[in-house]
Amino acid sequence: MKKFVYLIFAGLLFFSSSILHALEVIEILGGKASQIPIAVMPFKNFGAQNNIAKINSVIKSDLGRSGLFYALDTRGVTTTPNSDKEINFSLWKTLEAQFLIIGRVDFIQEEKMKVSWSLIDIYKQQTILSGEYVGKKNQIRAIGHKVSDKVYERLTGSKGVFHTKIAFVEKYNHQKYKLNIADYDGYNVISLLDSKMPIISPRWSPDGEKIAYVSFEKEKPVIYIQEIATGKRKLLANFKGNNSAPAWSPDGKRLAIVLTYSTNSQIYLINADGSDVTRLIRSRSITTEPTWSPDGDEIYYTSNQGGGPQIYKFNLESSEISRVTFEGKYNLYPSLSYDGKLLLYLTQDQGKFKVALQNLQSNQVLKLTKGPLDEAPVFSPNGHMVLFVYKDYGKTTKIGTVSINGLKIESLPLGSRQVQEPAWGPIKE
Amino acid sequence: MKFFKLENNDELQAYLFSFAIHLTLFLVMIFSVGWQTKIPFYAEVELWDSVPVEKKIKKTQVNPKKKIKQQKKITKAQVAAKTKAKVQKEADIRLKKKKAAEKEAKKLKKQKAIKDLKKKVLKQEKIDKLKKEMLEKDKVERLQQQVIEKQKIEKMQAELRENELKQQNKLALEGDKEVKGGSNTGELNKYKLLIQQKIQQNVNQQLCGLDYITLEFRISLMPTGELLGQPKMTKSSKIKSCDDAVERAIIQSQPLPLPKDSGLFSKLKNLELKFHPNGVK
Repeated sequence: MKKFVYLIFAGLLFFSSSILHALEVIEILGGKASQIPIAVMPFKNFGAQNNIAKINSVIKSDLGRSGLFYALDTRGVTTTPNSDKEINFSLWKTLEAQFLIIGRVDFIQEEKMKVSWSLIDIYKQQTILSGEYVGKKNQIRAIGHKVSDKVYERLTGSKGVFHTKIAFVEKYNHQKYKLNIADYDGYNVISLLDSKMPIISPRWSPDGEKIAYVSFEKEKPVIYIQEIATGKRKLLANFKGNNSAPAWSPDGKRLAIVLTYSTNSQIYLINADGSDVTRLIRSRSITTEPTWSPDGDEIYYTSNQGGGPQIYKFNLESSEISRVTFEGKYNLYPSLSYDGKLLLYLTQDQGKFKVALQNLQSNQVLKLTKGPLDEAPVFSPNGHMVLFVYKDYGKTTKIGTVSINGLKIESLPLGSRQVQEPAWGPIKE
Repeated sequence: MKFFKLENNDELQAYLFSFAIHLTLFLVMIFSVGWQTKIPFYAEVELWDSVPVEKKIKKTQVNPKKKIKQQKKITKAQVAAKTKAKVQKEADIRLKKKKAAEKEAKKLKKQKAIKDLKKKVLKQEKIDKLKKEMLEKDKVERLQQQVIEKQKIEKMQAELRENELKQQNKLALEGDKEVKGGSNTGELNKYKLLIQQKIQQNVNQQLCGLDYITLEFRISLMPTGELLGQPKMTKSSKIKSCDDAVERAIIQSQPLPLPKDSGLFSKLKNLELKFHPNGVK
């Protein structure tokens, strides 16, 4: 009997607890592509150097350019806190800031400085990341980029690309060409090569040590590979006909190239030392502009096999070919994000050339730019930004960046240079 | 001596005919008719080395004969002086005329320059006006485009609001009916929908990658709609930035809409929130 009473009691307890735990459930689907409001306060100066304001502006510019952040105007805020203990959180909430970056610069020697910084979560009212960098006075921009990278990674989960390099071709004096490299935001331009003949299609090796490009110096397009540090270069492909469109495999051991060796433009594979050339696709149509999938299993390319130019993919194991783009009659210049989930290309839409982004899972297409004469889009190494060429009103070509949410388009401060064919270098640790 | 020999009578005739024709032409040349109807103009030119000037006469006292001679000479000198004065006067008039003409020419030149300048200014003004008009047109077109876009967006938003309102009204009506009928499920659903909408618009899905993911939070609410404590994550998306973004969205959504009815509030004060930032398969 006693046992029976216990059983009833246990049953009642279970029943009541299940009632207590019958919470109302609310399902929330989707969300918005909004920019995170972030405040970057001027770094405190301990050492009477007057160029430290650059750090603050570099961080603001970096985060803003990504399209994921919105740098708040902090000019009205007069007191700069030293730590999260000194922060008036209600003030920052009123300003709708979600995060705050504060920092200080100490000049420890004449040319050396220490930059200390903190990232504060306004909602959680605590410091969520902090760090220190020591460097030379002339490295102030580089340090700013490093801070941006760390903040970006903490808040988005993806690596920042603010400390990377880009390559581009500059046309000057009408008929001369330079192959240049610069910081991702267009600062610190260095020339790698100067030529009287056109240079096109620069492509960074996955380790960021070399650049492959096409040069017309042999009075026809041939492919060179040049070491960035030493400037040494070697001729990779100088076969009969045109040699063009080099694309490094993810492991950097091979390249896909385009030759007109036996017929019209066809894709071939070649080892990075110039050996073992094999034809990849046998087609009567033009196959060009190859780009590798991040796993190295597939090659995406442009072909006119269906009439107009469209993007196809070729599986290296099964040799299976499948069409990838269906929206629009004119799609070319493919580029894949680092995770292979997004495809970037140039599309003709209502007579205008625009940069388009296709989600390869849902096949949804988003036009990132408005044209009318955009060209050569390439992904940033974290797949969050795109580098592309556009023509401004003066009809000079410019390089710009656009965030993949399409919220932020900015041009690089390259002055009046006639620039083309940009390529984004990898993230180097 | 025979120079040539005529072959027959026809040749002789031909020679004679040729001779007659040549003779006729020669005579026509000599006694030709003047066809000109107008007399040609001609000009006569008198060439001078220089203008003749009378020599100056010496003035001396001599006898009457000489005096007469001298008077005659004086008269001649006076005539010469008068002529000289006349010539001088004429030269002065010419100089004056020349100066006046030069002045006039200068004046005309100046007037022409002013006219040209005016023309240029007018032309520039015309160009500026055209440019301004074009810019204005561009601006107007842009503005029109913006207005159209804005109208489109407003229309879409209005439609969205209308739909939401309809749905809310529907829920409210259902709620009323149910409340009247002793049940309050409709009213509960209405507030669940309002809470869902408020949180959803603060979820930054860009920080949640592209995969289909789910994450769950539990929250406790005060009657004011403020959170009681921090949201508790019961299921992670395995993407730190996404978990943080969703947590921020919940905090940012305070105060959440809650019913004043205490019975209903007790059902909503503890909630389980299931998030699918990239939708469901």
